[in-house]
Amino acid sequence: MSDRVTLTLRAPLTRAIGADCITADRFSGLSEQEIGALTLWDGHVAVPLGDVFSIHGDHSSSVTIEGDLAHLDYVGTAMRGGEIAIMGSVGRGVGGRMSGGAIRVALSAGDDAGIAMAGGLLAIDGNAGDRAGGALQGASKGMTGGEIIVRGSVGRDAAARMRRGTLFCASAGENAGTAMIAGNIIVTGALGDGAGLGNKRGSIHALGGVRVPSTYAYACTYRPPHVRLMLLSLRARYGLAIDDAHVHGLYARYSGDLADIGKGEILEWQAT
Amino acid sequence: MDIRGVQIDDTFAEAFGMRGARIIITAKNQRWAREAANKMTGFATSVIACKCEAAIERELAPDQTPDGRPGICVLLFTMDSDSLPKRVIERIGQTVLTCPTAACFDGLPDAAERIAIGKPLRTFGDGFQGSKVIDGVRYWRLPVMQGEFLIQETFGKARGVGGGNFLILAESADAALDAAEAAVDAMAGMPGVILPFPGGIVSSGSKIGSKRYKTMIASTNDAFAPTLRAISNTSLPAGVNSVLEIVLDGLDFRSIAMAMQKGIDAACRPGVHSITAGNYGGKLGPFHFYLRKIMGGNVDDAPSEGAPV
Repeated sequence: MSDRVTLTLRAPLTRAIGADCITADRFSGLSEQEIGALTLWDGHVAVPLGDVFSIHGDHSSSVTIEGDLAHLDYVGTAMRGGEIAIMGSVGRGVGGRMSGGAIRVALSAGDDAGIAMAGGLLAIDGNAGDRAGGALQGASKGMTGGEIIVRGSVGRDAAARMRRGTLFCASAGENAGTAMIAGNIIVTGALGDGAGLGNKRGSIHALGGVRVPSTYAYACTYRPPHVRLMLLSLRARYGLAIDDAHVHGLYARYSGDLADIGKGEILEWQAT
Repeated sequence: MDIRGVQIDDTFAEAFGMRGARIIITAKNQRWAREAANKMTGFATSVIACKCEAAIERELAPDQTPDGRPGICVLLFTMDSDSLPKRVIERIGQTVLTCPTAACFDGLPDAAERIAIGKPLRTFGDGFQGSKVIDGVRYWRLPVMQGEFLIQETFGKARGVGGGNFLILAESADAALDAAEAAVDAMAGMPGVILPFPGGIVSSGSKIGSKRYKTMIASTNDAFAPTLRAISNTSLPAGVNSVLEIVLDGLDFRSIAMAMQKGIDAACRPGVHSITAGNYGGKLGPFHFYLRKIMGGNVDDAPSEGAPV
């Protein structure tokens, strides 16, 4: 038994490899040989994990992956526990459908990061692509729990159909929180157009301004007590650079989407 | 044993098990946090008639509270498990929810037993309320006229100890009050302990039942009433003309014992004849605070049997 399982890329990847077998909870019960026999997918071709990575360690739920992993897709899919540290960028679908544990990405992640996530933590130090924390095609719900912390930007359609959980990012592309059912989006910088369209009960916290959709209505300007609590909690737990002005500041509350049930909100921070 | 000329009687304070909750109230500033806390802990001196015992435990600086604002810690105790949520809900609902800028959080996050507090209070929102889960904890947001009231969904429930006490026997009413005030000041802010009576001091300590009125569950402690010295079975030594009592409730035996140690030491001052304690021969409660053991430095002498109810 080792403290940690380390996977080191043997050679740079030239095309996408599906790696949904790499989950920390699964590794905790496997020997080095068994880990090496897990299946990666090169298109339709099954490839033993040991052919792509050198493996050090066994029977541990702490996993480190080293190398240029930008073409390594679906790492941590449906993970239920343990932790994965990705020492660079990673491909699409990281942490999709995960329900527990933590995945930390040192650089950036591709599209569909944390898609349909149900619990745990996905922390990305760089940027994430489109549909971060979003919904699988045709699914009624997107993210249903957990936290996605992106220190950089996320692309389009972040947190679409989110039911529970929190997505934090420095900036977000268009249509963040489309058809949100509930949950939280916190954007400290630029937030693209179309945020919160079809929102039922979700909260979008726009700390850097937002173009409020016409189907939202202004309610009041106040200090929402939960914002203080939430931002302080995130700052304390993840060391995020959140200004006191945002923690204790005034927010304009817009109710919406009034084209739906209208119990959602966009809270736009007000510079004073 | 005597401390600076004040005799410490060879007796014990007898205390009983209670159930308790710690409520953290925050507000825009200390003034409003204290307003809410004062209202919440009003009329909560004794379970005999108030249904609960509650008081301010201590002030909290902004960096000690969940939402980074000034706060006050309140401890509230009841005699049984079922009535604890009722008392907490009615008091928060009437005194914290109504207080400008106030918010309300659980102060016992590690307690395994939980009581639903924000959950029933959420209905004040009349369907407009919403909830947020932050770091795994659910909070309710109630829209109110001022803006929003925030309260945690569940609070921790702890097994506590009620009825720790000591009596200050003094030559005069002024000397008794000076000593009691000094004791209260010394115990102020000690974690896990409250003094639920006015200013922390009881001027009318009671005995169980009544000699004359059968319906009374408590009546004057005639053994310690100076005006009855000549006509009752008095416990007052010669020269004692006034007695004040300090009653302590706490989250555990040690917290109370440590507070008693500090309080008794502070009360040993000129004009005080002796310090004693109230007990019922060990029949009422399993927690026995022996004054001389405590003043000798033993604050860990928890009962070996008799878990609190």
